Amino acid sequence: MRFKDQFKFVRQNMKKNKTRIFMTVLATAMGCAFLIVLASVGFGLQKSIVEEITQDRLMTEIQVHGKENEENAGITMDDITYFEGLGHVKAVTRRQMVDQQGEFRVGEFRAEGNAVVVDFPSETKAGFELSEGRLPEADNEVVIGHDFAESLAKWNGKETAPLNEDGTVKEEFKYKGELIGETLNLGVKQYEGEEEKSKSFDVKIVGIGKKPTKDWEWDPNIYISEKVLSDIEAFTGTPNGTVPPPNLPAEERELMEQRKDRFYSQVSIYADDIENVKTISETIKDKKYFAYSVVDEMEQINTVFLIVKSGLIFIGTIAIIIASIGIYNTMTMAVTERAPDIGIMKAIGANPSTIKRIFLIESSYIGLLGAIFGTMVAYLITFGVNWLLPIILSNAFGEPIPGDFKFSHIPLSLPLICIGICLVVTILSGLRPARRATKVDVLKAMRREV
Amino acid sequence: MIEVKGLSHQFKIGKKGKETIIPVLEGINLKVESGKIVTVVGRSGSGKSTLLNLISGYIQPTEGEIFIDDHHVTSFNESKWADFRLHNLGFIFQSFQLIPSMTAYENVELALTLKGVHEKERKAQTEKLFKKVRLEKFMDHYPSELSGGQQQRVSIARALILNPPIILADEPTGSLDSDTEDELLDFIKQLNHEMGITFLIITHDEKVAKIGDRIIEIIDGALVEEEDAS
Repeated sequence: MRFKDQFKFVRQNMKKNKTRIFMTVLATAMGCAFLIVLASVGFGLQKSIVEEITQDRLMTEIQVHGKENEENAGITMDDITYFEGLGHVKAVTRRQMVDQQGEFRVGEFRAEGNAVVVDFPSETKAGFELSEGRLPEADNEVVIGHDFAESLAKWNGKETAPLNEDGTVKEEFKYKGELIGETLNLGVKQYEGEEEKSKSFDVKIVGIGKKPTKDWEWDPNIYISEKVLSDIEAFTGTPNGTVPPPNLPAEERELMEQRKDRFYSQVSIYADDIENVKTISETIKDKKYFAYSVVDEMEQINTVFLIVKSGLIFIGTIAIIIASIGIYNTMTMAVTERAPDIGIMKAIGANPSTIKRIFLIESSYIGLLGAIFGTMVAYLITFGVNWLLPIILSNAFGEPIPGDFKFSHIPLSLPLICIGICLVVTILSGLRPARRATKVDVLKAMRREV
Repeated sequence: MIEVKGLSHQFKIGKKGKETIIPVLEGINLKVESGKIVTVVGRSGSGKSTLLNLISGYIQPTEGEIFIDDHHVTSFNESKWADFRLHNLGFIFQSFQLIPSMTAYENVELALTLKGVHEKERKAQTEKLFKKVRLEKFMDHYPSELSGGQQQRVSIARALILNPPIILADEPTGSLDSDTEDELLDFIKQLNHEMGITFLIITHDEKVAKIGDRIIEIIDGALVEEEDAS
């Protein structure tokens, strides 16, 4: 018997009991919709969290936070050289903060902030971008953070506070002009005994950094070269321009001044391709460095979500298994009702395997219809949840939910998994009734005794 | 040709372990030549329907062998029997055995569908056969909308649709009135004459028995008499 005819036969049989079939398909659809919606929460949260983590971050970056060495845990120039020598490394950036709160002046405006020492050539290779101007070429040239101008406040020598309560500069004290080309006066201090001494270094602003990608990020720093840091260190007599407290015991002060190694606080290795991040990360971890990359984090997050999603799919599968009891019942009823017809078919020469196949097609068809309707319903629910839940939550808790945050997400694989599970479960539930159909006794069936 | 050798059959009735064995057929030997009409007569319970059911493969004999056109059918498994029935045997039943939810056309077409014949060819063959049994106007009727004679003609059409060399009929006129019975018997003779189909007919009706080239009588499970009608 051809498959097309078997399918036609199944459809004809199903039409005889529309209500029963409808209820069975409905139960299966509910099971499938439950599975998909449940798992879609896992997929949705994973997608949103992963997007949040990876948003505007370089996936090729490996951050190095030091090494497992009791005597010398910081990253030094030797370590940087080692990193640069590794295969597939595009750039190694290193940053360090000048170890004191700097006072920056531009004309009569001033601001307090951090001076960050960067290696501009490696930053350029790693993709450091400016919103305006150019990168420094001379030692006394600097780049300012995107929000540096916002932190500058006019200082008129009076006690009038130029800042609002939230720390922003009052409108009348704000710096309004162009900063590129201006001379910035970088003030540092140190103590000689109890006496505070200060010195200022004049640097020229040649570029403004790109706006931080996240709305809440604020970059009022200035980016200086290592030469400027060396000048500061020459003044303070300590590495990184550290200011020892005036009451520091003389031995400790001496020890600090003797420390020659410069430690880098923010070291990032950039791989030439995302595929090589894991290898580089593993290599340096083997060398006892503390390394972190988004790829590592993604792996952990994906592992956690894989477990969560598997759990949710398992729970959803239980719903389908419950629905399959309905299919089993429907198919058993169908076999009982159609036993005389099965008997006649067998009497004229229907093969038992054909009869079995017809019933299996019927149970799979019910499962498939249920899975398709369930998927459609699940998409509607997902759409509703993603539209309605942010409104409810933001009204209930007063916290705005990011516009692109998805509570529920259905990737194509999820309906496919659901249809697969549904088909397996429904075929299994139809197997026993189908076997029973093949065992129908021809003579008893024709005498209507079954 | 149908050949039956030393065929015996017993039924077991009652609960398992406390069954009662009832012998139905005892050492039957029979040959039905190709192209002949053979009628089997006997009283109710004599075992004639059991003989037909054994030859049809609906039940397995306790003892003995059956050969149909040199095929040792008693060694067949269920699947092989099904294929053999579909391709070699036609069946006519006393109570017609039409599927009530299918139209007359669909009932006749069913055997072709089971054989895997294409729809277009099925249509042509089925319509041709409906003309032959003079029921072309009733093709879309359900069995419940047809008379007994019409239903039996649909049943015959179904038996003929795959051109089987042998037709096994169990009390084919049992549910028909006298006029319809005569009409059906004439049709059977015509089919035998024109198409050379072998008929093995089970009946308790003397009129039906007389259309046989040979008449076999079964009494209490044994073939006690075989007479040549000619």
